[in-house]
Amino acid sequence: MSRRTFLVRAGEVGAGAGALMLAGMSRNRRTYNPWDPSYYAPPKHANVAVAKSANYDGDLESLVREGLTTIGADVKGKRVLLKPNMVEYDAGTVINTDPRLVAATVLAVRRLGALDVTVGDGPGHRRDTDFVLAASGLESALAATDAKFVDLNTAPVRLVGLHTAYTNLGVLWLPEPVVSADVIISMPKLKTHHWAGVTLSLKNLFGCVPGRVYGWPKNVLHWAGLNEAIIDVAAAVRPHYAIVDGIVGMEGNGPIQGTAKASGVLVFGDDPVATDTVAARIMGFNPERIGYLAEAARFLGEGHWDRIDHRGEDPERVASDFAVLPQFQSLRLT
Amino acid sequence: MSGPLVERVRVALAASRAADGGFGPVPGAPSEPEASAMAALALDDDGARAWLRRAQAADGGFLLGLDDAATAMAALALGNGSAVDRALDYLLAHRAEVLASDPHPNAVWGWAPHTYGWVDPTARAVLALRRLRPSATSAIEDGLVVLSDRECAGGGWNYGNASVLDQALVPYVHPSAMAMIALHGRTEAIAARGRAWLDAHWSDELGGLSLACTLVARRLLGDPVDKVIDALDARFEASGLLGDTVTLAWATIGLGDGIDDVRVTP
Repeated sequence: MSRRTFLVRAGEVGAGAGALMLAGMSRNRRTYNPWDPSYYAPPKHANVAVAKSANYDGDLESLVREGLTTIGADVKGKRVLLKPNMVEYDAGTVINTDPRLVAATVLAVRRLGALDVTVGDGPGHRRDTDFVLAASGLESALAATDAKFVDLNTAPVRLVGLHTAYTNLGVLWLPEPVVSADVIISMPKLKTHHWAGVTLSLKNLFGCVPGRVYGWPKNVLHWAGLNEAIIDVAAAVRPHYAIVDGIVGMEGNGPIQGTAKASGVLVFGDDPVATDTVAARIMGFNPERIGYLAEAARFLGEGHWDRIDHRGEDPERVASDFAVLPQFQSLRLT
Repeated sequence: MSGPLVERVRVALAASRAADGGFGPVPGAPSEPEASAMAALALDDDGARAWLRRAQAADGGFLLGLDDAATAMAALALGNGSAVDRALDYLLAHRAEVLASDPHPNAVWGWAPHTYGWVDPTARAVLALRRLRPSATSAIEDGLVVLSDRECAGGGWNYGNASVLDQALVPYVHPSAMAMIALHGRTEAIAARGRAWLDAHWSDELGGLSLACTLVARRLLGDPVDKVIDALDARFEASGLLGDTVTLAWATIGLGDGIDDVRVTP
């Protein structure tokens, strides 16, 4: 009972109610725009490409390289950080970005001329990153590519001032590999989320803040307001590109206890807000009803469907409704 | 104990020493409270202890940004003196939030002030109080009550949610081992269940931190450790335990003499 009440309270900052809470926070602060307009230029034209892949066994490297090329990704001569979703590990389910996709992306990014490619994450539930790395298969997948992994929970940190004020945090301790990367590619799994509605390339960035400052789970962020923290973190990290692993996603009680959903897609974007907008619609959700996403679309990226340059597969043709918890039925497109 | 592995792990741990005498979370990183505390315990390191004394906040806590969960381990590392007293006073004064709907009114410890209580920081605080201020019986009891509340169905602990939205969550080895480090020597049923769960499941999660903390827990409990050491050795060879100071420190404590500085004698 106690945990349920706490989590219902925390869940009140998720989807539906989250949008209302965000608007209420703006009014309460008498700050309609809780971001520094001089720091965030209006969203540019966004490119999002959808590719089909039935499984992880084909030529993923070529598929990823083509997807990144289609969206105009520029990694030549750059130090690139790939940030997959490795929140925890359970052998019986599909929580994490598939290691085969991560490895393929390492190879693809190198082929596109990157100076250096590192893979990093700070798992949010388990402090034993060594276990998650090995058990998930990412360790062996990366060994085959000779790519370096960095635990963002233990990497040296730098204090970074925020240019947004959705939470009262004011600053974030961010790992040096995140702050110093030339290019960050957010690589989430296509999943529902039992508090936020969906978890995609923006929510994935919670793995960029270290557990030794924010806890396991990263409870400091939850107490600051989940939806609000998603925006502040995303606005601070500002990934350049996103690759959403929807070959097999998760529906229902995500992001940990849901069930596998074979969507058969990868979603590439040069604008994480636009990428999440497209990905949400592929899941059968209205992105305007996802609180943090709608708010991020005000300043952090492009959320207007008609202003996104859609490449590759038609999102509406590959869409497949994701099962969702009852409290998130209002997110549905239809 | 195992000579070669303990020496290899000690050498790896020493690589995290910073120029100012403290220890960082990984080699080359600036000194931080938790890393320094763990290294002080593991290596009996006066330089790390001196760094801790300089780093202690005026209110007695040891913080990294918002996180104050290093305070308990810093108290254990310093062992005695006014700095320890102030750290323990800080622990008693800075508890996690209790929700009106919680089944128990007991306040435990979270990762940062004014957040919720979780298993790992509560286990550390309970250990520190049991060893250094056993008279704090009420606070220790708070920890025991909440650790019991957070126990997963079937035993063991994860980060601190036995269930979410009425769905049971699975336990993990690392926080279960931390709970048993905190509870070693206790006679309550929760301690016996946790010991049995760890005995049955430690080999399910062969990661560095899980193995290192399991080793410490089982040594404190008097349970066999040879197979744990073998697994830890294999993992050290495979990954170097990711160069993580805290993991290397727990491993060093488990393999060496530092275990006596976390043992609660009856």
